[in-house]
Amino acid sequence: MVSNAFAIDILIRVFLFAFIGVAWNLLGGYAQQLSLGHAAYFGLGAYTSTLLLIRAGVSPWIGMAAGGVVAAAASLPIGALCFRLRGPYFAIATIGTAQTLMLLFLKFRDFAWGAVGTTIPNLGNAPLMMQFTAKAAYYYVALALLALGLAVTSWVERSWLGYYLVAVGEDQHAAEAVGVNVPRIKRDIYLISAFLTGLAGTFYTQYIYFIDPNTAFSFNISVEAALVSIVGGIGTLWGPVLGAVVLEPASALAQSWLGGGAHAGVQLALYAVILIAVILWRPTGLLGALTAVYARVVRAAPAGVPGTGRPVRKGLPLDG
Amino acid sequence: MTAVVAQAVVNGLLIGGIYALVSIGVTLIFGVVKIVNFAQGEFVMIGMYISYWLATLIRLDPVVSLAVSMPALFVCGVLLQKFMLRRVLGLGDMPQIFLTFAISLLLMNLALLLFTANYRTVQTPYTFSALRLGPLYLSVPRVIAFVLAMLLSAALELFLRTTDLGKAMRAAAQNRDVAMLMGVNPDRVFAVAVGLALALAGAAGSLLMPFYPAYPTAGQQFTLFAFVAVVLGTLGNVRGALIAGLMMGMAESLGVQFVGADSGLIVVFGMLLVTLAVRPGGLYGGQTL
Repeated sequence: MVSNAFAIDILIRVFLFAFIGVAWNLLGGYAQQLSLGHAAYFGLGAYTSTLLLIRAGVSPWIGMAAGGVVAAAASLPIGALCFRLRGPYFAIATIGTAQTLMLLFLKFRDFAWGAVGTTIPNLGNAPLMMQFTAKAAYYYVALALLALGLAVTSWVERSWLGYYLVAVGEDQHAAEAVGVNVPRIKRDIYLISAFLTGLAGTFYTQYIYFIDPNTAFSFNISVEAALVSIVGGIGTLWGPVLGAVVLEPASALAQSWLGGGAHAGVQLALYAVILIAVILWRPTGLLGALTAVYARVVRAAPAGVPGTGRPVRKGLPLDG
Repeated sequence: MTAVVAQAVVNGLLIGGIYALVSIGVTLIFGVVKIVNFAQGEFVMIGMYISYWLATLIRLDPVVSLAVSMPALFVCGVLLQKFMLRRVLGLGDMPQIFLTFAISLLLMNLALLLFTANYRTVQTPYTFSALRLGPLYLSVPRVIAFVLAMLLSAALELFLRTTDLGKAMRAAAQNRDVAMLMGVNPDRVFAVAVGLALALAGAAGSLLMPFYPAYPTAGQQFTLFAFVAVVLGTLGNVRGALIAGLMMGMAESLGVQFVGADSGLIVVFGMLLVTLAVRPGGLYGGQTL
């Protein structure tokens, strides 16, 4: 379908980060619990499958599911601790947990190779071991992951859980007052979000054939997860996808123009400028901006509720 | 053994003065403007580069260049408040957290583009000298940094307690609406609060320069330490941040001494997690400024 290796690589990154963004968005967008520590689950997923592969020869397909389960299990104690906090305190605590995990994996060399990391043994074309000589195969795996993330989100949106989540995101106290079990809702959505992020960790390690604590628990993973969602449209089904579609090619092109290695700061500086612009001028993200333009063109509905991407329910447009 | 412990405690206390200075800045902005500044460490980094270039280009001592870095960062703070932070006040968590976070990313990566990732150090005549106090050795640049950090903290506390502007700041921190009804100009108070917080970060950068290398991500560690310190010392509380900053320094130093060279951060994050589990309101349980 696509022959150019560079283009395929960009598309794989788009799908992967859209998927991580979709996973983050369940917690950060719908429930408004702004995590900056999703690298913790990415890293746990990556290390679980790699340890199973190298120590026990278990296929990464099974390792991926195991990684998701480990990540989900880890979200329980981490959530129990961090959900005691609100808003910025919560964000700080999640950074702390991801950094602590990175430091632990750096420190315990005998358990998981420490700072030097390890390469994934290359078996040539071994689809059962999630290794392919054709890059296009990775493309389909990433696409399948993204489809899974979107299916889960769409299911959550339509279930009772989705309504509870939006209630928690808008006002925790009010949600509690009408009988929503807020701690349980947060715990459940964190579990799902962590599970999906763990899957992404396994895929990424298999794709780049390498793992070390600094890439697996990289702060950049936590940042990009939030970034694609916010730039695209936080708390919406397609927002993270749109964000990844815009950001990943932009950063790849900027890096290839300016010569990658020599200008390592270009990608993140560019992200930062885009993020500042979105926050100051378009807090509903690109999807919100597109929706507003669409609404103006068809003159049907007013702009959505800020930050949610959903239409305003109360009141009618005066000119409608 | 006691001498080793005492030496580790003293070393930690000295660097803790710098952590305290950074933490006080974070807590001041949070207390008054209600924004958590994820970019505080990057302003420390800017202070370091200011002192580095002044030392390299015109041979100005880093401690003397405090006189440049502090006013320069005060102006940065006023501009930051006027053109950015002001626009997201009262807009909820997402814009407030991610705006300063994006500023931090931007500054770090601009520094990387402008100055490369190289570690840059300044050699002063006193960089390697030490005072001897019984069995203890006190590094001179660290003692200077600690003493000046404590003086600046005391000056800030005095400013907040005695001057009209300082009292207005505390009033705005306690209840913004009532303070406005009493005639406090929130724009001016907020701008000065952010300016002072950044000036303290700049001071921390200059004071670090004689014994600490400047590099683009140098500030990150200070932001993380400051966050732990302000959570431990109750967000928005200046004295809490001071005490917690000093505690962070000692915890890190003891961690490095007894757990291993790469364990300082683990000990500090451990303290954060224990604080959150045991006393989520911090040492001062909710009191601000």
